[in-house]
Amino acid sequence: MTPLLERFNLEGKVAIVTGAGRGLGRQMALALADAGADIVCAARTAEQVDRTAADIRTLGRRAISQPTDVRDSARCDALIRRAVDEYGKLDIMLSNAGIGDMRGANAELWDVNDDDWHDTLDVNLSSAFYCARAASKQMTGQGHGGTIINVASGTAMRAYPMSFGYGAAKAGVIALTKSLSAMLVKHNIRVNCIIPGFVTQGPARSEQEAIFTQTRGRYLPAQRLGYAWELGPLAIFLASDASAYVTGQGFIIDGGGLAGGLAPMGFAPDVAV
Amino acid sequence: MQNEWGHVRSGLDAFDLTGKRALVIGAASAAGAATALALGEAGADVTVSSITNDGDEIMAVKRVQQQLAKLGRRSSTVATDVTLGQGVQVMVRQVAKGLGGIDILVNAPDLFLGKSADATTDVEWNKVMQVNLTGTFHACRAVGKEMLKQATGGRIINVTSVLGERAIANAAAYCAAQAGVLNLTRALATEWGPHGITVNAIAQGWMQHSAAIGNPDPAANQTVRFVPMKRAGAADELGPLAVYLASDSCGYITGQVMFVDGGLTTHL
Repeated sequence: MTPLLERFNLEGKVAIVTGAGRGLGRQMALALADAGADIVCAARTAEQVDRTAADIRTLGRRAISQPTDVRDSARCDALIRRAVDEYGKLDIMLSNAGIGDMRGANAELWDVNDDDWHDTLDVNLSSAFYCARAASKQMTGQGHGGTIINVASGTAMRAYPMSFGYGAAKAGVIALTKSLSAMLVKHNIRVNCIIPGFVTQGPARSEQEAIFTQTRGRYLPAQRLGYAWELGPLAIFLASDASAYVTGQGFIIDGGGLAGGLAPMGFAPDVAV
Repeated sequence: MQNEWGHVRSGLDAFDLTGKRALVIGAASAAGAATALALGEAGADVTVSSITNDGDEIMAVKRVQQQLAKLGRRSSTVATDVTLGQGVQVMVRQVAKGLGGIDILVNAPDLFLGKSADATTDVEWNKVMQVNLTGTFHACRAVGKEMLKQATGGRIINVTSVLGERAIANAAAYCAAQAGVLNLTRALATEWGPHGITVNAIAQGWMQHSAAIGNPDPAANQTVRFVPMKRAGAADELGPLAVYLASDSCGYITGQVMFVDGGLTTHL
């Protein structure tokens, strides 16, 4: 293996991935495993994380599943303990668990109750804090640093009219990433976040879905939605030595939407000089 | 790896650049050399170029090309003055013919000027703009034309500086020029996205080779002590990101600025 490729190599590393049952979390767990890491797959639904762990084992890596409700800090503590019990250490904490809060087009802000608000904050933001807290303590005790990767969202920067709190929670994740990085840099722990734009969770299951997906992408420079597997290599980059001088940053993977977005694609001023 | 998406390049294969043809402009600088060598190590064939027709600079570029040759890559050296658009056009056409096409462009022109704004002359301002910003535009335009003709997509990576996003005193011309490169990056990404060409920027923090840094030894340097990681970055810490951005796996990242700065821009 060349020295360059060695920097991306995760052999001998242990990673926890939350939200690993499906979609982005599943793809990132598979990718980290493919790059050499052993994985603890966590999510609420046992069936789904069991399947991700089983698929990782067919890649020849070690993997276990741990059903976890990340709204509960005690469960997050238990998750880190499980990784250590099983594999002796923790190197990578990938907090991907999250939940959307889209309302219908006719919803009003005052239809949102306290529980809805707290749920959005707990699953999307608090969970990242709980996992980072437990993971960083473990990593510091081990004495050789580690990486924490959070997952935010483009909606943290630009708003959706039908979502009331997801953007706020995810904006919190971006800021949390910075403050965690400042606090943990002395322990040689790097903290970064992935900021996805519109990414499909899985391949289209019908012709109709394929067409719908295609049309939604037409406003983006890339002219398509993202594929969940595309987050895999980015996760490998952030989890590995390849990003050794990178910390506190957000990496936007959105087909160029946030770079522009002032006008529909294909719009350009007519200028005669 | 095979999964529900079909066969996807994952694991370390995701970063393989075998068969890709790259042009790195500004390969005499530490950042340019580091990215050229990283792309080569990842499997790309690389042509390296100077940013001026200065003999010493061309020799330095040749030394980088010799290191690429040792990696077993197809490589070549060219020279150009990035401030002259026509000349850049001719060079790029030549390189495209030589390599059979261009899949990856890295721009690393760098001309720093440490001078107070009130004392900066017209000539100095223009020079800094011409090399850093206009030079980048000349290269992007010329290579963009080739990529559009080829119609197989492409990757453009502009190696810039945190000073494009934030400022320090006594560097007004450089800050303005680098900021120009960042939004040029976004503009080109928006324009060429539908053609499968991604355009991104790597913004370097305080690196061992930074012209603005003075002594990079953190024991001696207040500026470096201000970096959360308490050290200047090494040029070879830029390479892996350039490789990822240049890869086929990175088709959904475009119009972005990525900071390799030890946390410099993230804290108060």
